[in-house]
Amino acid sequence: MFTPAKPVLRYQLTFEGSWPMAVAFVGPRRLVAANQLGHIFLWELPEKSPEFKVDPKSDQKAPNVWPTRQLVGHTNEVTRLLVTPDGKQLVSASLDHGVRVWPTDGKATGTAGVILDEDARKREARRKGKKETTTEPSATVETQTACEVLDGHKEWVYALGMSGDGKRLISGDAASQVIVWDLATRKPLTKWTGQSWNWIMAASLSPDGKKAFVSENRYKRDDFDVPTPGLKLWDVAIGKETLDIMKVQFPKYNPSDRSYGGSQMWRKFVANGLICTAYSPDGKLLAAGQGGETDTGKVHLLDSETGKLVRDVASHQYGITDLMFTADSKHVISVGRDTCVRVSQVSDGKEVAVLGSPRGGQFKDWLSAVALSPDEQWLAATDIAGIVHVWQFGG
Amino acid sequence: MTKRVATPKGSAQNMTNIQALNSLMNTTHVSRRALMKGALGTAAGGVVMNWGGLTASRAIAEEARKQKKHCILLWMNGGASQFETFDMKPGRPTGGPFRPIESNVPGVKVCELMPKMAKQMDKVAVIRSMRTTEVDHPGGIYLMHTGYRPSANVRFPELGAVVAKYQGTEGGDLPDFVKVSSNGDAGGGFLGPKYQPFGIGSEGTLPPFSTSNMDPAKEAKRHDLRSFVEERFATDTRSDLAKMHREAYEAARRLQKGRDAFKIDAEWAKSKELYGDSEFGKRCLLARKLVESGVAFVEVGQSSYDSHADNFQWHRGLVPPMEHAWAGLLADLKQRGLLENTLVVWTGEIGRTPSINNRAGRDHYVRCWSTALAGCGIKGGQAYGTSDENGVEVKDNPVTEGDFFATIYKALGIDPKIENYAGLRPVPLAQFGSRVVDALLG
Repeated sequence: MFTPAKPVLRYQLTFEGSWPMAVAFVGPRRLVAANQLGHIFLWELPEKSPEFKVDPKSDQKAPNVWPTRQLVGHTNEVTRLLVTPDGKQLVSASLDHGVRVWPTDGKATGTAGVILDEDARKREARRKGKKETTTEPSATVETQTACEVLDGHKEWVYALGMSGDGKRLISGDAASQVIVWDLATRKPLTKWTGQSWNWIMAASLSPDGKKAFVSENRYKRDDFDVPTPGLKLWDVAIGKETLDIMKVQFPKYNPSDRSYGGSQMWRKFVANGLICTAYSPDGKLLAAGQGGETDTGKVHLLDSETGKLVRDVASHQYGITDLMFTADSKHVISVGRDTCVRVSQVSDGKEVAVLGSPRGGQFKDWLSAVALSPDEQWLAATDIAGIVHVWQFGG
Repeated sequence: MTKRVATPKGSAQNMTNIQALNSLMNTTHVSRRALMKGALGTAAGGVVMNWGGLTASRAIAEEARKQKKHCILLWMNGGASQFETFDMKPGRPTGGPFRPIESNVPGVKVCELMPKMAKQMDKVAVIRSMRTTEVDHPGGIYLMHTGYRPSANVRFPELGAVVAKYQGTEGGDLPDFVKVSSNGDAGGGFLGPKYQPFGIGSEGTLPPFSTSNMDPAKEAKRHDLRSFVEERFATDTRSDLAKMHREAYEAARRLQKGRDAFKIDAEWAKSKELYGDSEFGKRCLLARKLVESGVAFVEVGQSSYDSHADNFQWHRGLVPPMEHAWAGLLADLKQRGLLENTLVVWTGEIGRTPSINNRAGRDHYVRCWSTALAGCGIKGGQAYGTSDENGVEVKDNPVTEGDFFATIYKALGIDPKIENYAGLRPVPLAQFGSRVVDALLG
């Protein structure tokens, strides 16, 4: 059971060279993270952290360990990583139009030397007045190519979700295509498209996999051509919309409207897109996070039957990037452009823990994704500064 | 309108005036009447505010006008990213997440966001080596509308005003310079209010003031009376302002006859697929219709490229409707036989930085960026100039704003060296020292 007490920063894993954008745990201290180049690495974290002395002049506040394995296959940014409840399969979605399923105990196909501290090397070279950085690898890792590609998207895949039992997946792309997959057979169960001009930004399945909660949005085409976003519940079996949540929020909402005036109706609710969603494990609530660069991003908690707003929780300056419910549905964990992890109590919206601290404004990096270990003792968050922060709860 | 200056007769100032006149006679064809008018004005010790004045050189303008060339400027307000359009750097730290696709010209790749333009690249000359001098929006907008940096002393005219002067239809029913939901406020500059743009809002409809609800017979009577009074006033005072007012009023009256050219509703249903169902698509259709109706210059704007944050999402939102409309416009112009005499210019005020900032954005950049030209004798199917591997510096064939404008004027059959007068100062259409990029011309 998740208890947001006494979080301690145990590791700061160096993952530089490109922004880390996705993270997931495949075991209690086994985690994967992926970056904008499509590189996925796997870390095995020692139960006891290595000896580490904090240097007050350094940003490194916890020890680093190098990854042990690289999963090779994606050729563009990995947007989401999910792991089945049994920990045996890792699913990745990418801007290379692919969804891949990786066995977490897959055989290594080789080894490779990798450089993961590129930024530090550049700083060092600059300090020494050298043009070239050093080239010896940071670590030698096993490589794994074994995976299966779920073929169906022809555009960037932003959205990926999984049912509570891990049997179904949902993915959505920038051509507004949504696919619900049967993970065992790797085949699509249902497909549908949202409003043709929108991108599927986030999608989540209900715990039983029968309903889908989908957020669609796109950036404007001109100041006077602002397509309307969508936030809907769908019946997975037949691929039909069952609840238009935007309509619940705004009775005058017109999904075909593209006018500037029309956008003023929903702008405050959607911000620059509800870019991350979650279905609570008890099936009662939906969460949608306001993302894109915006003044302050909040998490909307909505009733999953009526679509009505229950309350807003969290408050990330400049926008939210990722969110999740804890297994007991009692807390929402969110990360954002304020470089903070915020833990909010669902029952009253109270913020019960803040991990990390604002680094000083919008030009100071952001946290891009968050994950909890299966035992909910460990939390990892990717930071575009090239770090994976790992906290342990309970001291 | 004459502005008196305190310079005595025979002073150095007047010598300068005479030198300027001599220079003008040597460089351009000036009608005798225009020369006398200017000479008399300067001999009296006054500075003639003749809105481009001596060089009004009607003969030049009339000669150019015979060519009946047109220009459509597609204005990417805020500055579209070269990395997300025409100068991709896949696999480089500056490259971003989009991937290049092949076009219908071997070797010329464009961003995956531009599949429709990829099929029109045989008509387009991309310039990947723009190096300009104004890095912020107000200065850049001025620069890329006039070819000159903002100056406290000279109000340079916009490209549209120049084209209106040299390719416009004197006394036509339609304005010669139309802006549809776009930017830039230099307008007619020293060419005078006659060449100010006629502005159309974002919906592409005529402004309310352009519609008269008055009974035509009553309006005609009023007009006769107004003309009579104004004529007397103008004769008595020799006022340029009165003349300008009359011209503007006449133009507005004539517009009543040409109003149908601004109506696109009937055609939109048929053209929606070609231009893409967007506001920018509608504006491009309107531009084609206006050009077909004889308008010399139409500027069509698309807003919001200033992507300091979330650059890739912004471009994913903005580029597809833009490229669809642009491709449709080129195809439509070609099909109607208009592309031969219509220059389509694609530019914004600035490019965007190679580096991606911590807001996932790209900032302003003018050391190396891209523009594009098509039609009107432009040699399509080429990418002119190159940038280095990260798109930081121009590697070869740099093109300045002056070169860009000189090439545009040349394509439009207008000698970029023609001088107009800002007061007494001769000002060439394209900056001194600019060169026409001949490789871009067929």
